[in-house]
Amino acid sequence: MLLPHGAETFEVLLRQTGERFVCRLGETVLQGMTRLGRKGIPVGCVGGGCGVCRIRIASGVYRRQSPMSREFISSEDECQGIVLACCVSPCSDLAVEVLGKMGRALQAGSAAAKEPSGLFDYLSEKRHGCNAD
Amino acid sequence: MGVMRISHVSLRVMDMEAAVRHYENVIGMKVTHRDGAGKVYLKCWDEWDRYSVILTLSDRAGLNHMAYKVETDRDLDLLGARIREAGMAVEVVPAGHLPMCGRALSFRLPTGHQMYLLAQKETIGKDVGDMNPDPWPDDKRGAAAHWLDHCLIYGELNPEKGINRVVETYRFMTEVLDFYLSERVMVGPDSSIMAGAFLFRSCKPHDIAVVGAPTNGFHHLSFFLDDWKDILIAGDVMSKNRVKVELLPSRHGITRGETIYCFDPSGNRNETFAGLGYQAYPDMPVITWTEEHLNRGLFYTSREMIESFRTAYTI
Repeated sequence: MLLPHGAETFEVLLRQTGERFVCRLGETVLQGMTRLGRKGIPVGCVGGGCGVCRIRIASGVYRRQSPMSREFISSEDECQGIVLACCVSPCSDLAVEVLGKMGRALQAGSAAAKEPSGLFDYLSEKRHGCNAD
Repeated sequence: MGVMRISHVSLRVMDMEAAVRHYENVIGMKVTHRDGAGKVYLKCWDEWDRYSVILTLSDRAGLNHMAYKVETDRDLDLLGARIREAGMAVEVVPAGHLPMCGRALSFRLPTGHQMYLLAQKETIGKDVGDMNPDPWPDDKRGAAAHWLDHCLIYGELNPEKGINRVVETYRFMTEVLDFYLSERVMVGPDSSIMAGAFLFRSCKPHDIAVVGAPTNGFHHLSFFLDDWKDILIAGDVMSKNRVKVELLPSRHGITRGETIYCFDPSGNRNETFAGLGYQAYPDMPVITWTEEHLNRGLFYTSREMIESFRTAYTI
């Protein structure tokens, strides 16, 4: 597949939702996924440090572009295709699934992950979307 | 007497070259030392001590330690005794353990973060000098941050299990290290659970903050800028350098600071922060934020939560 300017592209299947997105050569999986423009895309630090965008690459060939924190991706994980979406780019079409609570949020079509995260949202449900005046 | 201010943070980075480029070209620091182990030391133009950031190559991002500076060497004896009396382990490390610093106290906060207190660090002076100085140097770069201002750590908060590292850290910082509380976040039934504490020893709204999260972690280090316009320029600099900007220029309700957040290339969150908000004095009544006003407290301009602000943090 070619874009008008001739860049090589790959198609990535997001298994949770059946959606497909395009990554240009050299783009990270997360950059492509972000263009879906929907809630629940696991965007964190985009630097491989926070682990928010943990995914499993179920099929396809990919390349690691930048280092991933060992705090979140062990060498065993890497052997199983578990990587951070902000650090890898496709070399072929891919099928991926987002792991952890972000994956479940994605499936539910909501960014409101039900598991604890920072800033105490687990203390009460009422806070979601609440912008007190 | 006692703790004066933040002295430095030691960060883990996964790509040293990219990290140095970021702290030089985006934040506007200068490299002042490189040691035999490959660590890089930097300072801002308006700082006088040898360094305020140490970068260490690692296989993960996050915080190694933070250091605060006390006024006199004797403070180390006094505070060391008080930390021990509080039942916490504290070690006196000799001069040179922290490069170009005198002896220091080393201990862990209830959040598990390693903290040093030091009284002496090599002084090399501000870039404008101290004899009839000009107000700013001619070779300012990037956002040209004045100084490292504060950091914010995450402390484990799990009321069901009776764990609240926020309140433990607040108590330690105030009762043992004589910090003052400027603002607090209270959540849960009857707003009875402390989920955020903003603490100061200087005269600004915070020198350190601790906020509740599922696990202990490092949220950000913050650099000081003069005013709102400098925040917008910092935004230009971040975009020019293709840095991931997390929060567009905004105001915090908590501290009233004007702010923009970005990430360094390893995913350590940086803030550039302007306006002191207000002068904080020990007798200022403590400001309280309740859970339903949290979005307003954090992101006053939009009053909307930024998901990554909660979920993305390093160790």
